[in-house]
Amino acid sequence: MDSGTLSGIITAVFVIVFIGIVWWAFSTRNKQRFEEDARLPFEDDDDRPAKQGDKQ
Amino acid sequence: MEATTYNYKVVRQFAIMTVVWGIVGMLVGLILASQLIWPDLTFGIEWLSYGRLRPLHTNAVIFAFGGSAMFAVSYYIVQRTCQVRLWAEKLAAFTFWGWTAVIVLAAITLPMGITSSKEYAELEWPIDLLITVVWVSYALVFFGTIIKRKTKHIYVSNWFFGAYILVIALLHLVNSAELPWILGGSTSAWYKSYSAYAGVQDAMVQWWYGHNAVGFFLTTAFLGMMYYFIPKQAGRPIYSYRLSVVHFWSLNFIYMWAGPHHLQYTALPDWAQSLGMVFSLMLLAPSWGGMMNGIMTLSGAWHKLRTDPILKFMVTALSFYGMSTFEGPMMSIKTVNALSHYTEWTIGHVHSGALGWVAMITIGSMYYLIPRLFGRESMYSTKLIEWHFWFSTIGVVLYIASMWIAGVAQGLMWRAANPDGTLTYSFAQVVATMHPFYGIRLAGGALFFGGMLMMAYNVWQTVRAGRVVNDAPIPQAVHA
Repeated sequence: MDSGTLSGIITAVFVIVFIGIVWWAFSTRNKQRFEEDARLPFEDDDDRPAKQGDKQ
Repeated sequence: MEATTYNYKVVRQFAIMTVVWGIVGMLVGLILASQLIWPDLTFGIEWLSYGRLRPLHTNAVIFAFGGSAMFAVSYYIVQRTCQVRLWAEKLAAFTFWGWTAVIVLAAITLPMGITSSKEYAELEWPIDLLITVVWVSYALVFFGTIIKRKTKHIYVSNWFFGAYILVIALLHLVNSAELPWILGGSTSAWYKSYSAYAGVQDAMVQWWYGHNAVGFFLTTAFLGMMYYFIPKQAGRPIYSYRLSVVHFWSLNFIYMWAGPHHLQYTALPDWAQSLGMVFSLMLLAPSWGGMMNGIMTLSGAWHKLRTDPILKFMVTALSFYGMSTFEGPMMSIKTVNALSHYTEWTIGHVHSGALGWVAMITIGSMYYLIPRLFGRESMYSTKLIEWHFWFSTIGVVLYIASMWIAGVAQGLMWRAANPDGTLTYSFAQVVATMHPFYGIRLAGGALFFGGMLMMAYNVWQTVRAGRVVNDAPIPQAVHA
């Protein structure tokens, strides 16, 4: 196999992988999962400062 | 017994050092900018010569300022989004002291002229070995914390941090492969080493490293910062989490191949130059996708921008990110590169990314983070943050605008030829033309530096009035 054919095959594989990632990310099956993930930074009470601080 | 708090100590240490190293690194930058205007500024003292201070500046701002910021925020975010305390805390403490030791060693050896002469990887082999140990420890702490997480999924910021940690390890190991001169029989300069590569291969490895240091240290890592702190400061989740997934994979895949654009019109094979250009152009898509994702997070909350200077820092950082990731692909096009390469335009481009994007997103994030680490509602003075914001923004604009004009003028003057084929301008004439623009650049840099001094005062007052938080509680209601 010459290098041109090999490059072509690799390019095709990467294009398919990319389409696969986009399909996976935007499929309705995963919609809820990603919406929950987006709320991960808000699962804590970080916006109130900690009260039990101690001076070092 | 299971830990009920987050480890804030190591985060606090790195956060404070971020401000300290930022000031040190930018001060060296100011000295360099002044030396270009007044070459005799440092009285010919060799330790303070331009060639020795320049790597000190780049190492200090990238690895000391940027690096400390990344350690601080990645340790903070990985704990809070995994809802567990750091894994192997002693190792985490070691990363702080080890990384600080690397920085101090760099600050000593670089002015002494001890250098491997590889750009952004100048440190000699003993320090390279220390970097490797610290970085492996960092990877263990970070991924160990991910493994013991309480949440079901891994938040997108941690994906970006994970990619950054893995790729920086790979880059460092490959690019710093070197033969210590002591093995060659020398006893006079045991710390000296030579690269394992030679000729154009050495150049290609160097710029594969160099560009991915930009891509993974200064971009991927700081995008992880952006994906956490912008939603937190705006008080709403990221605009599209699903876009962030596509952003992550496409950005990381494409960045890896863009390095050859640093070697356009050199001895590098033509196909490799074209490959570097094409991948650089493709980078525009994920870069702008990520930028839009961050900016659109504010949709419906734009009014917050009017009153919240921290959010101003973050959104302006994204705007500069968008500008420099548009400019970069354009400059990689061979015909544009023929004009821009080796000119001040490149310096302007780098600082649009480094000051506009990296420093401003870091400053915004630190203003969010520092009060929380010291048990305060907010920074000591919000008005001072507002002043800092305007100093920084005007400073960056002066910097990059002057370097654009200087760079284009420089490129055009270098290539201008008389009808008989001789050069129109001598090198010294081009240098003289740069003079006023170097002055404007220095003014811009001084404004940015002045803003950093305000930040230092503001942080000092916040810390003084605050209390060290040891440590914040982990929420008990664990969400899947």
